[in-house]
Amino acid sequence: MASDQQSGAGGSVSLRDRYLIYPGTPLAEFATPSAQAFHAEDRRDPTKPLFALIVRPGHPARIDAMRAIKGSESPGLMTLAEWGPMDWPPLNRKVMAVVYERPGGGRVMSSLTAEFKPLDEADLIRKVVSPIFAALREVRLHSVTHRAIRPTNMFWATAEKDRIILGDCATVLSALEQPAVVETIESSMCHPAGRGPGSYADDIYSFGASVALLLHGRNPVSHLDDETVLRRKILHGSFAVLAADERLSLQTSEFLRGTMCDDPHERWTAESIELWLSGRRLSPLLAKFEKRASRGLPFNGKEYSTARELAMAFCKNWDAVAQLVLDGRLELWLRRSLDMKDKADAIAGVTREAVMAVNDKRAAAFDTMVAKTCMVLDSRAPIRYKTLAAMPDGIGGLLAEAIADGTDLRTIAEALMREVPKGYFETRDAYNPENSLMDSSFREQKNFLDRATLGNGVERVLYSMNDAMPCLSPLIVDDYVLDIRDLLPALNAATKKVDGKGWPIDRHIAAFIGARANFDVERQMSDLTLPDPERAAMAMLNLLAVIQWRLGQGGLQGLATWVGGLMQPSVNSFHNRERRKLIEKEIPRIARDGNLVELARLLDSPEERTKDAHEFTEARTEWLAAQREIANIEEGRSNNEKALRFAQQLAALVSVTISLITVVLLLLARLL
Amino acid sequence: MAKKPEKKKTPAPGRKGGSNRLVIFLALMALVPFSLPTILVMFVGLLPTIAAAVVERGTNRYAWICVGGLNFAGLAPWLFSLWFGHHTLEFALGQVTNVTMLFVAYGAAGVGSALYLALPPVVAAIMSATSVQRATGLRSTQRKLIDSWGESVSKSDEFH
Repeated sequence: MASDQQSGAGGSVSLRDRYLIYPGTPLAEFATPSAQAFHAEDRRDPTKPLFALIVRPGHPARIDAMRAIKGSESPGLMTLAEWGPMDWPPLNRKVMAVVYERPGGGRVMSSLTAEFKPLDEADLIRKVVSPIFAALREVRLHSVTHRAIRPTNMFWATAEKDRIILGDCATVLSALEQPAVVETIESSMCHPAGRGPGSYADDIYSFGASVALLLHGRNPVSHLDDETVLRRKILHGSFAVLAADERLSLQTSEFLRGTMCDDPHERWTAESIELWLSGRRLSPLLAKFEKRASRGLPFNGKEYSTARELAMAFCKNWDAVAQLVLDGRLELWLRRSLDMKDKADAIAGVTREAVMAVNDKRAAAFDTMVAKTCMVLDSRAPIRYKTLAAMPDGIGGLLAEAIADGTDLRTIAEALMREVPKGYFETRDAYNPENSLMDSSFREQKNFLDRATLGNGVERVLYSMNDAMPCLSPLIVDDYVLDIRDLLPALNAATKKVDGKGWPIDRHIAAFIGARANFDVERQMSDLTLPDPERAAMAMLNLLAVIQWRLGQGGLQGLATWVGGLMQPSVNSFHNRERRKLIEKEIPRIARDGNLVELARLLDSPEERTKDAHEFTEARTEWLAAQREIANIEEGRSNNEKALRFAQQLAALVSVTISLITVVLLLLARLL
Repeated sequence: MAKKPEKKKTPAPGRKGGSNRLVIFLALMALVPFSLPTILVMFVGLLPTIAAAVVERGTNRYAWICVGGLNFAGLAPWLFSLWFGHHTLEFALGQVTNVTMLFVAYGAAGVGSALYLALPPVVAAIMSATSVQRATGLRSTQRKLIDSWGESVSKSDEFH
């Protein structure tokens, strides 16, 4: 049987006890640039053709998209059967696997440089627009975006090639693998990891651009690099770059102009496409070009006529910009040559703000000024700061990819600490409530970065901004811990690999807890960094105990033993040695039960602590009194004085007694 | 005549006790004609006690009591003879010139004095012995405290 042959050599790995994935049977035809594909099988229905994509370990995936499209039976969407972390023997760790139903036909376009049989315009609606539009409606229904719409990620649904479906969109960050040719101008300006989930309008643009390529049977700009494609799109408009050379019917041309409109406000919406599909004619959209200056502005050896081009040039020559802005040439150019008074006023304001900064803050203020200048010049462009270029909702993803790739994080951290996103929101043309939410979130991230302690710093920002980021702590990185519920079991399992001398909470785990815990752990988190090792260790135990208590997890024998072994400073903080012995005897018993809560109660009982401290004070007083008395005895001071006094009193007493007896006896002798 | 300073009219606080003593002294002097023999015998017989009371200084004035007690005990038989026999000046004079009486009274005073001098070293020796025992006991208590509470119990600013 075909299935048996494909199963091939090697064993299988089970996902959620239902899907069998065969690591020994890779399927290159279904692989994505980032995720390898393997043969998969459904235990309940072995005849169903399936394949699994394995997410690159350490890289974030789109859990929200997986949740949204799982089980969706849209005619334009590859059906996602199951997803989840699972053991992966080739890497000897857990990985995220996504199981899809196999499309019947092959990939529509094997690579961006490949050529294929152009799609007939007559089949456009039936084979492409209808199914893919249905897929877009499906993802929109679940409040997610696809952001992986490109011909290289499209498959023929059947062997007869009668319908195209969209491929995977969940194994990588939004639009990470999208080439500039199918992305909007603004998205193409971003670092691929910083494009963010974007909006439905971004999906519609990619849809239109992909249709243009399908109609060509090739990528018309395959000979150009992404930057040149972007520049051409800015100068001539997307439609002109991707579809102008092709002889197209008015109807198709209308569709492409509408979906590839570079102004997101004028771009076609779902309703527009529906109207077009129903045969209604819409007013044709004409390409809008950037306003050109009457005189170009020379910068870095070139003359620039549009604000957008100039902003792009600024980003490539960051250090040379400040002078141009500060000496007022840019403001003057905007005011006189481009007649953009609003932008000129905004630049004047930004400059004033920067020059008010004093000495050591001046360099930072100038960098922020350049970033804001770029935002003012091109308000639709992403946040650009030095080498960083990302949409506000893409900064988290960019940070995640940078950490996964081990690249420099300084620019991202610097941009957040210097509140560059705030500048972005301040320079928006219109108010958007979503921006306020994002602004407060960025303020929070800045606070995390300002505090470099355990549970804060860049790690906290990473987990706060990326819900789909598994914990990257070296202790549990192989366990693919996505949810806080999986943390303690993973740490419990990690006890076999560690020597037990280090803490079970490192920077990543603390930050992960801080970001994922939906209950209050602030006090324990802040105590983790106390200089007193005993109190810090106690805070660590309390933090783990709170998690265990809140999540009701038991059977953590390994972890409890590990933590119990680290509690010696805490045990030693009890003064009474008998009490210490009792506690030391009790710890292994509690550890055997795997009960961190009980362990925390034993070591941090306020009653026991108060009693111990009170008794210790009494013992100390007693010791001190004894010491004073010994010192007096040794010095002989009190002895001599006391002895002399006592002896004199005794002598006097004896003398008086003898006298009294004598008198009494004499009296008796006289009287009797 | 030079006028006395006015402040002298106001008696000093300590003068009240002095005036009381004067009253007692005058009262005793008034009794002298009626008990002159007793006074004579007691004055002569208790001379060592009077000397000890006059000579002794310091806060703990026990020497004159010690000497006086036995001195009085030694003099007591002759005093009783005077009181229960002939309470006359002649008889008293006879007694004070009696060598036996003087020997016994002064001897008893000597014994009292010896008692006063001999007892402190004896008591000191006894107390020293008990102090060593006490110090050993205290050290043992301290050791027990350290065993129970660790060295930190002995960490005190006063001794370290």
